[in-house]
Amino acid sequence: MNHLPQAWGRPRDDIYGAYNHAHLAPSHPTTHTQSPIVTGTSVIALKFRGGVVIAADNLASYGSLALHRREAAEKFNDKAVLGFGGDVSDMQYLDRYLNALAIRENYSSGSGAGEKASSTSTDASEEERAESLDNEGAGTGMAANNLHKYLQKLLYRRRSDFNPLWNHILIAGLSSPPPNAPDASPQPFLKSVDLLGTAFGAPSLATGFGAHLAQPILRRVVPDEEAVKKIDEATAVEAIRECMKVLWYRDARSLDRYSLAVVTKEGVRLSEDERVEGQSWEFAEGIRGYGTQVV
Amino acid sequence: MNHLKKGEVNLGTSIMAINFKDGVILGADSRTTTGAYIANRVTDKLTQAVADIVHYHLGMYGITNDEPPTTQTAAAIFQELCYDNKDQLSAGMIIAGYDHRHGGQVYSIPLGGSLHKQAYAIGGSGSTYIYGYCDANWKEGMTEEEGVNFVKGALREAIKWDGSSGGVIRMVVLTAKGAVRHLYLPDRSNYEGPGVDTAKI
Amino acid sequence: MTSIGTGYDLSNSVFSPDGRNFQVEYAMKAVENGGTAIGIRCKDGVVLALEKLVTSKLLKPGANKRISTVDRNMGVVSAGLTPDGRHFVSRARDEAAQWRSLYKAPIPTAALANRMGSYVQAYTLYSSVRPFGVTAIIGGWDSEVEVPVDGQVGAGPAVGAGGKKEGEKHGGPYLYMIEPSGLYWGYYGAATGKGRQAAKSELEKLDLAAGNLTLEEGVKEAARIIYVAHEDSKDKEFELEMTWVSSLSGPTKGRHEEVPQKLREEAERLAKKSLEGDDDEDDKPEGEKMEE
Repeated sequence: MNHLPQAWGRPRDDIYGAYNHAHLAPSHPTTHTQSPIVTGTSVIALKFRGGVVIAADNLASYGSLALHRREAAEKFNDKAVLGFGGDVSDMQYLDRYLNALAIRENYSSGSGAGEKASSTSTDASEEERAESLDNEGAGTGMAANNLHKYLQKLLYRRRSDFNPLWNHILIAGLSSPPPNAPDASPQPFLKSVDLLGTAFGAPSLATGFGAHLAQPILRRVVPDEEAVKKIDEATAVEAIRECMKVLWYRDARSLDRYSLAVVTKEGVRLSEDERVEGQSWEFAEGIRGYGTQVV
Repeated sequence: MNHLKKGEVNLGTSIMAINFKDGVILGADSRTTTGAYIANRVTDKLTQAVADIVHYHLGMYGITNDEPPTTQTAAAIFQELCYDNKDQLSAGMIIAGYDHRHGGQVYSIPLGGSLHKQAYAIGGSGSTYIYGYCDANWKEGMTEEEGVNFVKGALREAIKWDGSSGGVIRMVVLTAKGAVRHLYLPDRSNYEGPGVDTAKI
Repeated sequence: MTSIGTGYDLSNSVFSPDGRNFQVEYAMKAVENGGTAIGIRCKDGVVLALEKLVTSKLLKPGANKRISTVDRNMGVVSAGLTPDGRHFVSRARDEAAQWRSLYKAPIPTAALANRMGSYVQAYTLYSSVRPFGVTAIIGGWDSEVEVPVDGQVGAGPAVGAGGKKEGEKHGGPYLYMIEPSGLYWGYYGAATGKGRQAAKSELEKLDLAAGNLTLEEGVKEAARIIYVAHEDSKDKEFELEMTWVSSLSGPTKGRHEEVPQKLREEAERLAKKSLEGDDDEDDKPEGEKMEE
């Protein structure tokens, strides 16, 4: 025995030789996530005059198995909403990450004296009240464009570590004014970032199946930035609802319940229990065989 | 899709947990297989629930905070473990517990390591056969007797259709009064009894 | 101080023969020189208030806040050496963040007080460090409703978790004060700094243990007590800094925030009035007597 407690009770090196660690080494290389597991499907969003509307259905899928309900669209603060497509566990990781960020941001932006504190709602449900303490970055100065840039850097870094966060995220909201015009009114902001850190912005955006099914419809409504100024909130929301219906018809991993958020300078209106309405199925009665059959 | 990682064998099972009026019920079959051979036909899958590392964390929590950890604490620690080690793990988890702060709660952590709070959760190879049964027969605020019958009925179906699940049905009922074990045997007129096991907890 | 040092006050890790740690006692002297800080535990929240002495006319009024937020639901105010207070807050924030990353929930106020008490105490043990020159007051609101695990999705059964005891209360307002020795207690009302004696006797009059004082009354009392405590150092200018944290259904929705400007100014107006009023009341009976 020697004076080193960590060596007590072990075979002595001078008699048995040093312990051979070789067989503990993994026989295969380190791997990280090769594919998403529990997933959310499309997120779609559209800019309009003075704001952005964003929607995503409430389904978490495990392969083709409809597993759980999820919260697909998430309020970050009064200026930004996030829509997550892809892996749900990574989405929850980002949720916690952004929550920690929001807490830290809140420290440096002061206690947010009073302006928002006065809006007392004592009749809020227990769940809503718990939510108010939860993950919103209220009081943070981060606008949607700041949040987007932050997430882009984060996702690019993770892909460069060969350990990507398996998400395609839409960030919708209002942008902060440019440094050379600090008094400019905030503009509608909509950009995406994917698992590689690729950033992309457009008047309308969609992830997953939505990129194939909803994007063409949305582009017809708002083909370019000029068109954004011409449509109002009601038209934009209606277009989004129509797209959610198409996705419900044609995306096998979708659900007829969805979350819909509208961001304007008045703040964020988030509804988590929207339904696909005005569906058309009656025509099924008139379908016989595959074209030639008449009875 | 071959979902098995290198060097793994598929261990079939049927596990579930539900909320009822006064707490939660956990249930499981008792079959352990290696390939088609039944290695253990009376396994107790309800005591293996707490992995060593989580046991350590929960123990530490109890000591340092002068109050027992909640179900949420256990769920949070399990979730982190499953998420951080997702590339090495191939098992989903169900966490059910009772504490005076929140009453009974059921959490499910599927493969990738996401955390889902649920009214009831089912898992294992046998669970795929009982999604329909559970959805059709589930109702909220069940009495203890209704809850036990729900779990029993669901696991009976899982055992019937899943070759990798079988043997006896074990349950633990968790309420403010503590944990009570139940046992139901296949040869007692199709899992009628013996029922509450007062001999051991 | 009766027996100053005699050599036993030079090192933190050396007791005096009569069992005192002089460095800790000197640290408390540093606290006693600082502006008065108080905390009031009301029935529906906690108020923290500070007499921030203005050290230079070149400082911007209202800037350089001294009451800090930890996580979202707790606040820290301290009296004594300001930089020590900032380090204390920095450590408290780290503790809160570490708790969150492990348990995915906000740290209970009691647990934070416990951790910070241990941290401060460690600075009384080693010769290479000096104790904290602050006494810190921690006020927080622990959620009275179920807070979801950070990141979780889904809500479980719609009719609520089974077996929850009806009518049993959880969470609520908490207030702790940690001294340079690491000693901490939970309080109904806490005061430290230069005017602590006056503040304490005012706090004792409020019968806080009965739990009848509302948060808004607490804000007004806090302002008044700081003004009362300031009487002894009237020659110095000061700013009143006040924060509060309420229940989730209250005005701050469970968050620690600055008291809104309007309410603070109203509270200050009443505080000043009551001080003048005290003088009036002292005068009045005499005046009345004279009329009689």
